[in-house]
Amino acid sequence: MHAIEFRNLTKRFDTVDAVRGVDLTIPHGQICGYLGPNGAGKTTTVKMAVGMLMPTEGTALIEGINVAERPVEAKMRIGFVPETGALYENLTPREYLALVGNLYHLDPELAAGRTDRFLSHFGIADATDRLMTSFSRGMRQKVLISAALIHNPSILFLDEPLSGLDANTALVLKELLRDLAARGKTIFYCSHILEVVERICDRVVIINRGEIVADGAVDELKVLTHQASLEDAFTDLTSTVDVDSIVRALSDNVTGGEPGSDRGGDS
Amino acid sequence: MSDVRTEPAEHGVDMRQLRALIAAGIRLDMRSARRRGRTRLGMPPMVSMLVTYLIIGSFLAISLWKTSDPFTFALLTLSAAMFMTAVTVIMEYSSVVVNPDDHDILSHRPVSSRTYFWAKIANLFFYVGSTALALSLPASIAIGLRFGGGVPLAISYALLAIVGCVSAAAVVVLIYSTAIRTFDSQRFSSAITYVHSAATLVLTFGYVLVPRMLMREGVALEIPQGRWVWFVPPAWYAGTVELAAGNPGTHNVIFLLMALGSAGAVITLALSLISLDYSRRIAELAATSPNIASDRRGSRVSTRLGLIGRALCRTDEERAGYDLMGRYMHRDRKLRMRIYPAFGLPLAVYLFGLVTRSFADPFGPRPVEEGFPIQELLGFYCVFITLFFATAMTQSDQWKASWIFHAAPVRDRVAIIVGARKLVIWRYILPFFAALFVLLSLVIPPVSAAVYLILTLLLSLLTFSLLSLASPYLPLSQSVEKTRQARQLGLVMLLGVAMGALVAIKETIRDAPLPGMIAVVLLALLAVLSEVALRKRLKVRLAREEFAG
Repeated sequence: MHAIEFRNLTKRFDTVDAVRGVDLTIPHGQICGYLGPNGAGKTTTVKMAVGMLMPTEGTALIEGINVAERPVEAKMRIGFVPETGALYENLTPREYLALVGNLYHLDPELAAGRTDRFLSHFGIADATDRLMTSFSRGMRQKVLISAALIHNPSILFLDEPLSGLDANTALVLKELLRDLAARGKTIFYCSHILEVVERICDRVVIINRGEIVADGAVDELKVLTHQASLEDAFTDLTSTVDVDSIVRALSDNVTGGEPGSDRGGDS
Repeated sequence: MSDVRTEPAEHGVDMRQLRALIAAGIRLDMRSARRRGRTRLGMPPMVSMLVTYLIIGSFLAISLWKTSDPFTFALLTLSAAMFMTAVTVIMEYSSVVVNPDDHDILSHRPVSSRTYFWAKIANLFFYVGSTALALSLPASIAIGLRFGGGVPLAISYALLAIVGCVSAAAVVVLIYSTAIRTFDSQRFSSAITYVHSAATLVLTFGYVLVPRMLMREGVALEIPQGRWVWFVPPAWYAGTVELAAGNPGTHNVIFLLMALGSAGAVITLALSLISLDYSRRIAELAATSPNIASDRRGSRVSTRLGLIGRALCRTDEERAGYDLMGRYMHRDRKLRMRIYPAFGLPLAVYLFGLVTRSFADPFGPRPVEEGFPIQELLGFYCVFITLFFATAMTQSDQWKASWIFHAAPVRDRVAIIVGARKLVIWRYILPFFAALFVLLSLVIPPVSAAVYLILTLLLSLLTFSLLSLASPYLPLSQSVEKTRQARQLGLVMLLGVAMGALVAIKETIRDAPLPGMIAVVLLALLAVLSEVALRKRLKVRLAREEFAG
């Protein structure tokens, strides 16, 4: 039984196919990077996997459980950090994590202990009882990561989890993910940041315009595309534009095409 | 998985999750909002809203103290309470009934649809029940004292008021639920604002105007068996109150059955329609909002006046405020949903006047028998529109984008507000009055219609300036919070003053045209001066304003 399995996973919004026939299996203990340009269908895939959206066609299985048919059972196995950073801001971190603990039927004392330790390790222990309305993006992200881990899930879906985090916390999170994978957790990691994916992921899946265009280890993708880096391989697989000409055009647009002409240059 | 005590229920209601969600919901309702960049625990917004409603309820109970019988008293107070509850639910619909944020935060958690549904219902009942109690508590005390029923009658009245208000809220839920199930997502996105306005129209007609008509015809003061009574839900509750007051007529027993039966039916139906799946549909609608920029045109009058308004913008900042407000009014469905219902109110009054032939030349000979003051009510709701604009135009889900006004080298931030206000006036208020002039000219002499509407327009502009002082923020720069808009209903008191001025000037014109016209000119001058004062006040206010994100 695979940790995660997508069979012909498809999502259509009105006339737009956001995700088209994605087939993917991920074994336990693997960190799988899920890459793609803006609007490629990464977040839509994840939302179907965690039960936030219903697939138009196909199925998403979590440890063999169909998310659409037995959502509660599947969701018990999942931890999710959403890209939106949505949480109830008018609660304190302690209240919010207690709510999450209740939703997963955690022992209240266990949940409270983990809450204190998470917030302490993430350096926001002094904000435990403050409303999150006043939190920075990074502080909220730390609470969201804590909420994704508090019930000790076997599978983690992370959508741009480093968003807003400072360099030290980002480093801690990257090492934490490696450690959790070594302990058998499966991690599905969505990101635009290629160097992080390159550093921590065992496997990289690239999606473009709703379809998987490449799947393999980083070195395999480099060989496949005859490129020296993951960045070049990614560009080769997903970009149809000439980067140099785009850069020149943008610079000309900013400066009006002439060095030093920065006002009224559009005439 | 070993950390989990028991598995949550897949299909039924999970009591532990339910308790946690209800507690969190109530906590969120009661929490104070963040203001101007710092967390400040002042009076919780819901408490402040309840205090406002308590004051309105007291005002209502005192003003109806002299009513001759419990039926009439209950009919009028319950109509007002049910109407205000329904309007509150309409105004706060996205946060009270279905909050798309719930979908983002909860839908990946192991919560069954039924658990979520019951948590939402409990929160809705808490919200509506509190509102109903605040509105009807003074009336319940008054009815107990005034008609000799004592505590039992007061308690009966309060319970009936809560049931009636919850039913009114359930009607709103039903209207929206039916709309979302009837239309596909694309058509629903376009239709929802009009559904919203239609709901307001129906409620205004049913809950406010028909009881007044009953009063006028004397039906309600005598035996409540006129045919209108059987179609007016507040009358069923009022009949039940009369039954509790010791008048056991057959009609009152039927009223009791109709009140409880209809309440049971609409609440049961509404309960069957709220679920997390419903919330998901709302969220998907938000995510796939169709591009309406190119396919929607305003009316010709509205567009032309809009172009004149933009031409009248004197600076780039004013034009920026004008364009921003215009595009959001055009594309932001939630913003339109907060404002458009206001137009349903005067339209309901107009239809009512048409049906009952209540319109009379406001400047013609004074009628021998004082009739129903339909023009005044029309004028009141025209002025009322500005309340919706003044409060809603400062709020947006994307309020954090207002950082641009703080970070960009804007010389005059007041001009941005002025530009947004010009958009509202030229693109919405003036076209609305133009349309109303055409409609009113069908029933009263055009010259009288013109003078009356000019008078009402001047009062509206004056009120709009004063209301903007109460909400002195950059356009779309405040978060959309539960109760924020409903709390502003307290400003209705200010509209009462405008109403008084409208009647006084109208009567002056009727009796002595020259002094009356001088009063109109003075009013115009006052409207201009209030705009100048508003700008000065805003300048001081905005100098202290910091970005709150």
